[in-house]
Amino acid sequence: MKIIVAIKQVPERDAQVRIDASGKWIDEADLQFALNESDAYALEEALQLKEKHGGEVIVLSAGPERIGQTIREALAKGADRAINIACDDLGSRDALGVARLLAAAAKQESPDLLLTGLQSEDLGLGQTGVILAELLGLPHASLILHVEKTDAGLNVKRELEEGWFQQIEMPLPAVLTIQSGGNKLRYATLMGIKRAKMKEVRQVSASELGVDATPVVMLDRVTLPQKQKSTQILPGSPKEAAAALVEKLKFEVRVL
Amino acid sequence: MLLSFSAIALPTLAEPLHFSLAEKLLFAAMLIASGWLFWGRFGVVLKKILKSRKDPNFHLFPIGKRVWDFFWEVLCQAKVIRERPLPGFAHALVFWTFLAFALVTLNHCATGFGFGFLSAGGMIGRWYFYFAAVFAMACAVGILGLFIRRFLVRPKWLGEKVSWESGFIAFLIFALMATYLASFGVGDSSTAARVLWWLHTMALLTFLPLIPHTKHLHLVLSPATIFLSRGTFAEIPPLKGDEDFGLVAGTDLTQLVSLQAYSCVECGRCTEHCPAATTGKLLNPKEIILGVRAYLNDLGPASDQPLLGKYNSQEAVFQCTTCGACEFQCPVGIEHVPILVGLRRGAVNTGTWEDDHGAKLFLTLERGSNALGISPAERDKFIQKQELPIFDGTQEYCLWLGCMGGYDPKGREIIADFARVMNYLGTSYGVLRKEKCTGDPVRRLGNDLVFQQLAEANLETLAQNKVKKIVSICPHCVRTIQEDWKEYGVPPEIEHHSEFLARFADKLPRQSKDESIVFHDPCYLGRYRNVYEEPRTVAGLAGTVVEAPRNHERSFCCGAGGGLAFLGEETGERVSHNRAAELVATGAQTVGTACPFCNTMFRDALAAGGDAPPQLLDIAQLAARGLPSASPIADHAS
Repeated sequence: MKIIVAIKQVPERDAQVRIDASGKWIDEADLQFALNESDAYALEEALQLKEKHGGEVIVLSAGPERIGQTIREALAKGADRAINIACDDLGSRDALGVARLLAAAAKQESPDLLLTGLQSEDLGLGQTGVILAELLGLPHASLILHVEKTDAGLNVKRELEEGWFQQIEMPLPAVLTIQSGGNKLRYATLMGIKRAKMKEVRQVSASELGVDATPVVMLDRVTLPQKQKSTQILPGSPKEAAAALVEKLKFEVRVL
Repeated sequence: MLLSFSAIALPTLAEPLHFSLAEKLLFAAMLIASGWLFWGRFGVVLKKILKSRKDPNFHLFPIGKRVWDFFWEVLCQAKVIRERPLPGFAHALVFWTFLAFALVTLNHCATGFGFGFLSAGGMIGRWYFYFAAVFAMACAVGILGLFIRRFLVRPKWLGEKVSWESGFIAFLIFALMATYLASFGVGDSSTAARVLWWLHTMALLTFLPLIPHTKHLHLVLSPATIFLSRGTFAEIPPLKGDEDFGLVAGTDLTQLVSLQAYSCVECGRCTEHCPAATTGKLLNPKEIILGVRAYLNDLGPASDQPLLGKYNSQEAVFQCTTCGACEFQCPVGIEHVPILVGLRRGAVNTGTWEDDHGAKLFLTLERGSNALGISPAERDKFIQKQELPIFDGTQEYCLWLGCMGGYDPKGREIIADFARVMNYLGTSYGVLRKEKCTGDPVRRLGNDLVFQQLAEANLETLAQNKVKKIVSICPHCVRTIQEDWKEYGVPPEIEHHSEFLARFADKLPRQSKDESIVFHDPCYLGRYRNVYEEPRTVAGLAGTVVEAPRNHERSFCCGAGGGLAFLGEETGERVSHNRAAELVATGAQTVGTACPFCNTMFRDALAAGGDAPPQLLDIAQLAARGLPSASPIADHAS
């Protein structure tokens, strides 16, 4: 099975982001970047499918030079080769533009399966994978926790609300967007990193792919979330405080 | 000539005066057969050691320490005696007798061909034979004692199986001494002298080939093992080239590892002191070494079969706390920690170790900054709340918070109190805005990739901030920064806060002596850094220091080291509970620690141990307790 995993590099989750001078994007200086979490699960799913059924895992990304490190990590974990579409202005692109780039590059490989994370941790649009399927004319399913290959195609497990799941039979080729937490992620190893040095990373440009990715959605400005303190101290004896807490959890927060 | 001395009352050693040609030929044949049998095995062992991979960072110099270790540990038998005084001394008697007998044995063999160079009649020979006789008597007593210990007392560390070969060897050594001593009671030309000579010869020539076939191989190898050992305690050697991932297969065994594996004398001291082995875990350090030896015997150093599996258990290898008690105890120079960590490196660097907790720790440190997986914003908040000064290059010390000091509630208390003491002393210090885990847990668990990333990132931060001197409350941080980071750069000078505080002990207020404080030696401060008295000096400011049964070099691990603090539930008894019970049993009012990991382990263990446990305080907290309460930081301490 030939599997493409589309990945994105995002600021580390712990990073303290600042808004840049234009007010339209974050200041990338001093930031550490890492693989988008649900993309890491997409990669893990692809690697497990390859281990079971054989084939090839190709990492596909669109990003600036710094993405090289994340690509190498993906190769270290077991992907066979990588394609990167040089792209310095991710912040000003919309999901359609990125999906067009990815679709053009993916088309050349004609994969059996295309996986990507459910959504990115920075923009959180959650559309790229779905648009990608549309552009390629492939069936798709989102929020996938588990993928099983069957004789006819795939059997996938979708996550619904409140602990409900859905099992779906679908044909191949297909596009799936993967939810975090379905598998246990493997750790990167020294051997993987050394072997990754010998793996192919092909750099292509938007013009080589013949894609016009002019954004149709313009980003106006980004703002940091407003901090507000809503801590409440519940008075009284521990017993009274506990009773008050249960009350609030039941009727205000509604988690009980 | 002979007659002139016979008048003296003391008996002299009798040696047959003349050997027939047949006797000489028989002796020569036996000698050759014995030597051939010796070499038949020893040659094989030597070849396996020499054919092993070269140690990448081995250097003979500086040689002074090697010579000293050889003198002290081999010739003086200091470690053998010190760690097990009675059997150790018995062993030393046997060893020293062997040294004294070198000349006697050479002369004995030469006599068989008519070339004896020492004569009981000559001045030198006569006195040398007496000299050797004194040793022979001591040795006979010593070997008898060891025999009784092994077969009648039967300490469990020698293993459940009775070693008949050891009994036979003891018998041979006893026979050698008995036949030698008996020769003083017979006449030179008597048949008895001839019979004794032959009996002595037979014992000798039976003993020789048994050496390489049994654990008595240590007679020949261990002096070399001690002389050639890496020298730095628990040193983890660098990986060399693109195909070195640690100890994966036979081809990764280095000459030192193979030499050490063949040197093991199976005394079980490592097992006796191992926190894993003594709390019912699978790990037994002796069996690890014997597993490597069995691998070498069966497959050799050129094999690409995995080292873990049939010969050693992966589960056992990952139960090691890297406390180093085994390596510290070993009388023949085996370095267990590099071997155990080497086997872990082999498993982790190639991805064959699968463990949910381990993988979580690795992923946390691949992406995040601290082993606890907490946002660095929390560290920033703590720094602000405690009003800790930020290091700007002008201060003398960089106060390294570490994961525990920056994120763990108890670790933060220690930092806050240590900062109070430094404020009181007027020390100029600052903390870094950004810090990553030093990589201690991943280093000991064998993840070289993450360790390298962390070491390099930290070294860069320290260089950017122009840090010259670091002080840390965590012995793991101290060790890792000072020794392990060397592989990737030049770390700044660093000291543990016990060393810092002890230096200023005179300037710190003395408290009442009424409180009894039992001090627990952290492995990474004691055995790893050889710092024992400084923390006691500091604890002594706050009360009277008492000792647990296992203290100083023999201190028992808290169970957190080697990355184990981050792995899952232990099998068997918890190491921390075992140690906590020992500390409580001293009756001390306070348990004093000098490591935030020990502290967190005991916090849980003492809470689980029953009502009214002793209080648990770091030495920095003990020192800070005596300060005037109006110290600026104290007002803000949580």
